[in-house]
Amino acid sequence: MVNFTVEEIRALMDKPANIRNMSVIAHVDHGKSTLTDSLVQRAGIISAAKAGEQRFTDTRKDEQDRCITIKSTAISLYSHMADEEDLKDIPQKVEGNDFLINLIDSPGHVDFSSEVTAALRVTDGALVVVDCVEGVCVQTETVLRQALGERIKPVCIVNKVDRALLELQVSKEDLFQSFSRTIESVNVVISTYYDKALGDCQVQPYNGTVAFGSGLHGWGFTVRQFAVKYAKKFGVDKAKMMERLWGDNYFNPKTKKWTKNGTHEGQPLERAFNQFILDPIFKIFNTVMNFKKDELPKLLEKLEIKLTGDEKDLEGKPLLKVVMRKFLPAADALLEMMVIHLPSPITAQKYRAETLYEGPSDDEACIGIRDCDPKGPLMLYVSKMVPTSDKGRFYAFGRVFSGTVRSGLKVRIQGPNYQPGRKEDLFVKSIQRTILMMGRNIEPIEDVPAGNILGLVGVDQFLLKSGTLTTLETAHNLKVMKFSVSPVVQASVEVKNANDLPKLVEGLKRLSKSDPCVLAYINEAGEHIVAGAGELHLEICLKDLEEDHAGVPLRISDPVVSYRESVGAESSITALSKSPNKHNRLYVTAQPMDEDVSKDIESGKIGPRDDFKSRARILADDHGWDVTDARKIWCFGPETIGPNLLIDQTKAVQYLNEIKDSVVSGFQWATKEGPVAEEPMRSVRFNIQDVTLHADAIHRGGGQIIPTTRRVLYAATLLASPTLLEPIFLVEIQVPEQAMGGIYGVLTRRRGHVFSEEQRPGTPLFNVKAYLPVNESFGFTADLRSHTGGQAFPQNVFDHYQMLPGGSPLDPTTMTGKIVQTMRKRKGIKELVPGVENYYDKL
Amino acid sequence: MLQLVGLGLADETDVTVKGLELIKKAERVYLEAYTSILLVDAAKLEAYYGRSLIIADREMVESSSDAILADADKIDVVFLVVGDPFGATTHTDLVLRARELKIPVRTVHNASIMSAISATGLQLYNFGQAVSMVFFTETWKPSSYYDRIKENADLGLHTLVLLDIKVKEQSMENLARGRKIYEPARYMTVAECARQMLETEEERKEGTCARERLAVGVARVGSGNQAMVSGTLEQLTCVEMGEPLHSLVLLGKRTHYLERDFIREWAIDPKMLDEIWRRDYEGK
Repeated sequence: MVNFTVEEIRALMDKPANIRNMSVIAHVDHGKSTLTDSLVQRAGIISAAKAGEQRFTDTRKDEQDRCITIKSTAISLYSHMADEEDLKDIPQKVEGNDFLINLIDSPGHVDFSSEVTAALRVTDGALVVVDCVEGVCVQTETVLRQALGERIKPVCIVNKVDRALLELQVSKEDLFQSFSRTIESVNVVISTYYDKALGDCQVQPYNGTVAFGSGLHGWGFTVRQFAVKYAKKFGVDKAKMMERLWGDNYFNPKTKKWTKNGTHEGQPLERAFNQFILDPIFKIFNTVMNFKKDELPKLLEKLEIKLTGDEKDLEGKPLLKVVMRKFLPAADALLEMMVIHLPSPITAQKYRAETLYEGPSDDEACIGIRDCDPKGPLMLYVSKMVPTSDKGRFYAFGRVFSGTVRSGLKVRIQGPNYQPGRKEDLFVKSIQRTILMMGRNIEPIEDVPAGNILGLVGVDQFLLKSGTLTTLETAHNLKVMKFSVSPVVQASVEVKNANDLPKLVEGLKRLSKSDPCVLAYINEAGEHIVAGAGELHLEICLKDLEEDHAGVPLRISDPVVSYRESVGAESSITALSKSPNKHNRLYVTAQPMDEDVSKDIESGKIGPRDDFKSRARILADDHGWDVTDARKIWCFGPETIGPNLLIDQTKAVQYLNEIKDSVVSGFQWATKEGPVAEEPMRSVRFNIQDVTLHADAIHRGGGQIIPTTRRVLYAATLLASPTLLEPIFLVEIQVPEQAMGGIYGVLTRRRGHVFSEEQRPGTPLFNVKAYLPVNESFGFTADLRSHTGGQAFPQNVFDHYQMLPGGSPLDPTTMTGKIVQTMRKRKGIKELVPGVENYYDKL
Repeated sequence: MLQLVGLGLADETDVTVKGLELIKKAERVYLEAYTSILLVDAAKLEAYYGRSLIIADREMVESSSDAILADADKIDVVFLVVGDPFGATTHTDLVLRARELKIPVRTVHNASIMSAISATGLQLYNFGQAVSMVFFTETWKPSSYYDRIKENADLGLHTLVLLDIKVKEQSMENLARGRKIYEPARYMTVAECARQMLETEEERKEGTCARERLAVGVARVGSGNQAMVSGTLEQLTCVEMGEPLHSLVLLGKRTHYLERDFIREWAIDPKMLDEIWRRDYEGK
């Protein structure tokens, strides 16, 4: 029985003050989907008995089979806050006591973190789930960083407390210590990415921004809930009570007084948190799990828990589950925490508007976003595509930031490459239908005002993966999402049966749409390439392609790594190339760029659309660039955003601006396919030293300048000790002490090295961090498991590029040279790297 | 020996007697077909010359000149250029390369638009530097020609504007990807040129190519159906002059009244031409 109707939800949509858009984020296997079940169950969508097992938001069969979430899934929930007192605690405006919670469950495995990015974009708050045994892991940190970068406010739940109690059998004080350590490490991450506009986001139990619980058993609590109970009992202020129930606060039963001092006359006192909160929970666990049947009724009566007839017959874990769930329902704690502490769209869009919008902060669109105005111009961001039951079609999933969207509304559909005033990447179409996304179901809905999350039908034909929908002709785009992972692992696919080729092509298109991060393209050799963030991601994508999107048998190559070409030094001499008609000459040098600059470009801190003066400031102040150079950046590449720069260092060259376009095109082409192995370039700075040009424009058109630019850039690269960079994974492995040895063996064999090794306090688990070349990571997980008796679980996330050791890539006798040769062979180009004389023209 | 032979302006019969003799004797004959075109196709040339020709497109001349020059030190190679061999600056490079290889070079001249433009009655003495007008694109609108015209105008000189032709050109996208896919041939018309000049004027606002500046448009100079038209730049934007090739002359202020009388013949609106001439040109 569903507890609410679409009409009720629609009515709430008009009260943005009572909406909470939030995502559930965490490391893999920390229990996001299981926790989400508790909330879905409260909404009456699944039965209580199944909650914690069904994983409602894991809608795909392989998600259920593998027990991991692959796609993020949205669901709208309705929550009623009965107690007027609670409403007063909400630090922002509210209207009435009904709330609409739009929740997105996201995947935890690093390979799918682009799904998290897409989810975060449309939400304002995040529920960070942390496993109380494993603590803060690599992906917890990654998603938190992403959330804070998008100005999303976090609250936290320490999950799997049942494991600590049942498996580790810890004492109350140990549990408290473990909780506070976990929270502390969450806060360390949060304070690292402090953003002034967002304010202080530290989570604290005594503020009510941390919950504790067990998603599997369906129970959970916040300190606030207990504070409310005890405040009545003790007759003290609730806020005071909250502070007392956490940290170094003790209640001395002898003096009946609160104290900060942990001892009384030499006797240790019990911490208030342990005494008032953990004690009843420990008692229940103790009584139920030790089968003390006679003590149970008394305890239940004291805690005001009533069991039904059938439930009384249960024992052991099932009984524990029922009792705990009645005592401390997880949904209550979570909903309360989310409603009170997460921002409404009205609150959030005030400080998010400037980071969301590419245009000026005082135009109509930006003001509409800032005010979350349902009557403003429509500004809607589509963050991802969700497959429909109709094969090959997708719902566009997104959020209305300003205005109201309804069926039949004529909108401008602006793709990520759209620029105001231009016509590229722009369609003007009517919205076919608007829908509400409910996990595996959808509900049609008339219209949707600002601040809400929705699905759109029919938009998929005009957008590849994401984009902006607006009614305002002058509107800029909403900012394009930056992903924390890059597609570094790729494989080529071909059809087994030649007749199926059109289906493969169509399938690749669909695959590319269905996943925010996957890359599908045809390379120069005519192969179809699919690239993903990691082995698992690639595997899932290829499986989807074969079984679903294309639906034809495929032959799939072994996965290969995508390398980057770079330079190790400044060009030994200035490279010169003449245009085919010999009337124009370009003089260029190449030099390596600092890793930090490349990282800033890749993370979007420095970008082609920045104001050139402020960009020059950053480059000069943070990276020690010459200001004049920094102001003369012509372009970024490849794809106009990549981490290679073209700098104009010429002095007083006539007509230079008339060839800029052609030079930029040539630069994009050259940086996309470098001279060594036609891999993309990275971290190379090209300086145009001088240019001589024919006076007449007809002799320096694109046909003359574009190929010449490419040749001169190639020559400059080859003259600057070219190198090959390989992608490196950061591997985080959780492993019990006795299995540690196996890890080292496996890593060493695969050119990996451990750089950090920490024991998680209070557990026998070690947290090992290592760097591992992506090229060596294929089959790593299976290898690692077999050498550690299945006890080690690695998480690989792309971390950085590193120079491939072992000689020059130009020398076919070295290791690097051999890799280059294999790569060139695979691409069907001449095996030997063409020498500099092919590109360098003598004066 | 490398022999550069000019083919003249219009059709197969414009070749000089000297040139024709060389063509008939030569081992290989190349026809350069991208800086300009004849008004007839290559097959007609072959029939008239009584021998086969090798079409040399831009790529061949610029990127594989070695093939053209192969063995030229021993045998005779003829390189046919529409107009005069050195009318287009492009071919000096071929000569330089031939010199490097110690190949002797000989040239047979012919008429070129650079001289034939005097058919408009505008005196060659009064011309300043010639400029080329390229096809503008959305993002590429080179306007440096405007400065050249201005320099001429400041001295009161006419400017001959040569119009872009695109034969076997790649699109920007194909060029950047290195794909050898060619666009269909395009030839700029007088009207297009006038429109682009007004576009640049809009941007520069210096008056050099203002709407009421007088200009002469010509088409197919040297052929039986050559056409000429005179008027203001604005009038020329809507003129229809038929088949290629077109050229345009922007009048300088130092015009002789004889020149006026000559171009008045083809004026779109003779009365207006007179008026403007009197107002802006006569005696200035």
